[in-house]
Amino acid sequence: MNRPIRLKFFWQEYLERSFSLTIPLAAILAAFALSGLLILAWGSSPLEAYVALFSGAFGSPSAIATTLQRLTPLVFTGLAVTYGYRGGFFNIGAEGQLYMGAIAAVWVAITFPDWPSWLLVPSCILASALMGMVWVILPALLKARRGINEVLSTLLMNYIAIQYFEWVIRVDHAMRDFTPPGGLGWAFYNWLGLKDPTQPHPKSPFLVEAAHLPTLKSILETPLLQGWLGGSEWYQQLLSVTALGRISLAPFLGLFAALFIYFLMFRTVTGYRARAVGINPEAAKFMGINVPRTLFTTALVSGALAGLAGGMEVLGTQHRVIPNFLVNAGFDGIPVALIGQLNPLAVLLSATFFGALRAGANKMQVVSSVPVAVVYVIQALAIMFAIAGTTIDIGLALRKRRVAQMRREQETLEVESEAANA
Amino acid sequence: MSELLRLEKMRKTFPGVLANDDIDLSIEQGEIHALLGENGAGKTTLMNCVYGVYRPDRGRIFWKGKEVTIHQARDAIALGIGMVHQHFMLVPPLTVAENVILGLPSPREPLLDIKAVEKEVEELSQRYGLAVNPSAQIWQLPVGVQQRVEILKALYRKAELLILDEPTAVLTPIEVDELFAVLKSLKEKGISVIFISHKLEEVMKICDRITVLRDGRKIATLKTTETTPRELAKMMVGREVFLKIDKPPLKPGEIVLKVEALSAKDNRGLPAVRNVSFEVRRYEILGIAGVDGNGQAELADVLSGMRRASSGRVEILGKDVTDCTPLEIINHGVAYIPPDRQHTGLILDFTVAENLVGKSFFKSPLSKWGILRRESIEEFAQQAIQEYGIRTPGAQVKAKLLSGGNQQKVVLARELSGNPDLIIASQPTRGLDVGATEYVRTKMVEARNRGAAILLISTELEEVLTLSDRIAVMYGGEIVGIVPADQADIHEIGEMMAGTKRLVDGTLTLKIQETEKAYESSD
Repeated sequence: MNRPIRLKFFWQEYLERSFSLTIPLAAILAAFALSGLLILAWGSSPLEAYVALFSGAFGSPSAIATTLQRLTPLVFTGLAVTYGYRGGFFNIGAEGQLYMGAIAAVWVAITFPDWPSWLLVPSCILASALMGMVWVILPALLKARRGINEVLSTLLMNYIAIQYFEWVIRVDHAMRDFTPPGGLGWAFYNWLGLKDPTQPHPKSPFLVEAAHLPTLKSILETPLLQGWLGGSEWYQQLLSVTALGRISLAPFLGLFAALFIYFLMFRTVTGYRARAVGINPEAAKFMGINVPRTLFTTALVSGALAGLAGGMEVLGTQHRVIPNFLVNAGFDGIPVALIGQLNPLAVLLSATFFGALRAGANKMQVVSSVPVAVVYVIQALAIMFAIAGTTIDIGLALRKRRVAQMRREQETLEVESEAANA
Repeated sequence: MSELLRLEKMRKTFPGVLANDDIDLSIEQGEIHALLGENGAGKTTLMNCVYGVYRPDRGRIFWKGKEVTIHQARDAIALGIGMVHQHFMLVPPLTVAENVILGLPSPREPLLDIKAVEKEVEELSQRYGLAVNPSAQIWQLPVGVQQRVEILKALYRKAELLILDEPTAVLTPIEVDELFAVLKSLKEKGISVIFISHKLEEVMKICDRITVLRDGRKIATLKTTETTPRELAKMMVGREVFLKIDKPPLKPGEIVLKVEALSAKDNRGLPAVRNVSFEVRRYEILGIAGVDGNGQAELADVLSGMRRASSGRVEILGKDVTDCTPLEIINHGVAYIPPDRQHTGLILDFTVAENLVGKSFFKSPLSKWGILRRESIEEFAQQAIQEYGIRTPGAQVKAKLLSGGNQQKVVLARELSGNPDLIIASQPTRGLDVGATEYVRTKMVEARNRGAAILLISTELEEVLTLSDRIAVMYGGEIVGIVPADQADIHEIGEMMAGTKRLVDGTLTLKIQETEKAYESSD
């Protein structure tokens, strides 16, 4: 008696899930359509432009490598915003945490260049996550203890982080072959600095090889794999693809992070508490959940993810920091999270969308003379449509009807059984 | 008597819900007509259609024999229909007279002649025995008087038919009597009243005819003199209801909750609970009666760890739990049914299963090493759904989609699952229909029979009277009397609720306690 109902209900669920994916997809399509009009007005063919955009993002191994590089920091900041938001901590400070994470990773790499790769890379990653956490502690405490709005405090922390970065990148780093002038105080000052003393411009030294995240190429070239697969033809072919040298482990760590955050959010006690506090802190308190502590933990996780975004960019892609090395990746985490419907797995898709736009923009400009800025129009429109789309909750309407029907069915059953008893 | 209003085949649907299904209704001049039904039976919807708030899908409205169309409230008012909503539509800083003419032209346009209005309001108030001072500001007036201002507003607009939506929900027993007197005088002057309610006794007391609605359908229209509460209850629910809950007399056991000279402040920092002392024992339900806003909510908050006490002491099974966190208090074996299930009782965006495990999700077997075990949770949820008869398509449905009664069952299942020693139930049946109310009450009595101590806080006197073994009355943050339920006199309790009588002298008990403390410290 129960089974057909549950089976039907399963389909209902399935339908609803696909609807929640439909909204962002429809938003993206609508954004492309509307921007097409803009491109037409510009005097180019939208179709041609979009084909160029797509091939610039996915058309060749090299294009894919670029897309992966672009999307990686967005995955991490998108996850940071998603987890924070779901837990009632709207982290606008991913930008600042990202900068601090990058600083930490670079600092560890240039301070301990002699460490072996297996120690140095994890240390750098850990340092970036920790520094992201440190940067969120103050807003988190203010929010948890005093209820001070985290939107404002995390936003303001961004400016401090960016200015600190601008300063630290102009201070000579005390390296082995560079003895800083002045006394002990200056030694500490230079110990903090990130600038390559041999260079006139504000930029950090290029990180030693041991601090680079392994690339697909370097993994393929390890003696173990070489000995194992060395003879086969496709292995040689694969090695000849130079783009593999630009694909580091970072995007794969991003994938892992998304899976991990999904698990943390929906399958663990910590995630349950975080979501409860995020939806209804008052009810969570009545259930005995320690709301301030939960908020604090949530903020730390969010900060760590944002810090990792900076670390991954430095260790996997740029291998050094320069002024404006990664602009707005932190802020872009917010639309990435929104289009991803605040779901860690969907964040992967929306980050891919954002990354592909950035990667393909140049080719679009070259091929169809449509300016790169159109990409940001598409992006902005997609965000607006996605937000507007959330008001059309088809899934909820469907489910409401289902529940009402369910109730009627059950009542009939009860009446029947009562009649049978009597 | 002539017919004033007639409704024919009124139908109103909301997406997925048939709220009114071809309802016929006839109201005569000068009668008090009850619309009786459970919550969600469609009473308010029907009246909102008459008052022009909703547009019915189909159906005809006749006013004094002529067919009329009502598109908005203004049309209804022009005909002579007035409605007093459950939540008053008054502007607190304005005076009575100012509220009365709000939206109407002044007698001396474009100048505001408030004196003339005040005079007319005064006359109306005298004629119908309303006793309202037209120049008083609304916020200064008690709820009962505010309600009479709403009635005045309708009368000033020359209403011949008054629709009152659950008018007694916010009133003390004395205010209810006053309201009934007003209704009688309105009736004598030829004004018809539609009295929306789900309370049988009141309907029986004041109304001439009763129309019972159930699930959006009209069941019957009866003369009050020709029916019984039992018959009406059966019609409302569709089956026999046990209005009296079977409660065996039990001997109270050890003291579970002991409250000593407890005081607490409200959100504005003003004293809300003043020097309250009582105890609740095993096998006992202590009911706290009182009009809403007399410190009961703050008392419950302090006992459940949601609010700090400003002084005094709370003990559970002999252990001091004053100002412990909610979790610590839960761990002492306390269950709390909060007054507002939508905001504090449940997380509506969580699934039924997630809500059901809200107090045990971090314990074995529901989780292990911090990882939730989905099968165990599903099993736990299915068991609770079965045991408490929660009507839901499944455990993975969001709680917000359930009806009020089923939501409250989820709260009950969560709170009662660990066989708590103490249950604090704050307004456990507020807004529930008769069937769900009966269920909740039965569960509470079961818990008492099992040996739990129960503190029941309710503004519905009837509920406190049916369930409690002892009754405490709160007024102005103090407990003004505690009486055994079998010796309780409803009038005496009503007087205590209104603050006109007290059995316990607050200052005296305080002095006794102080002397006791002095003795203890000298030892």
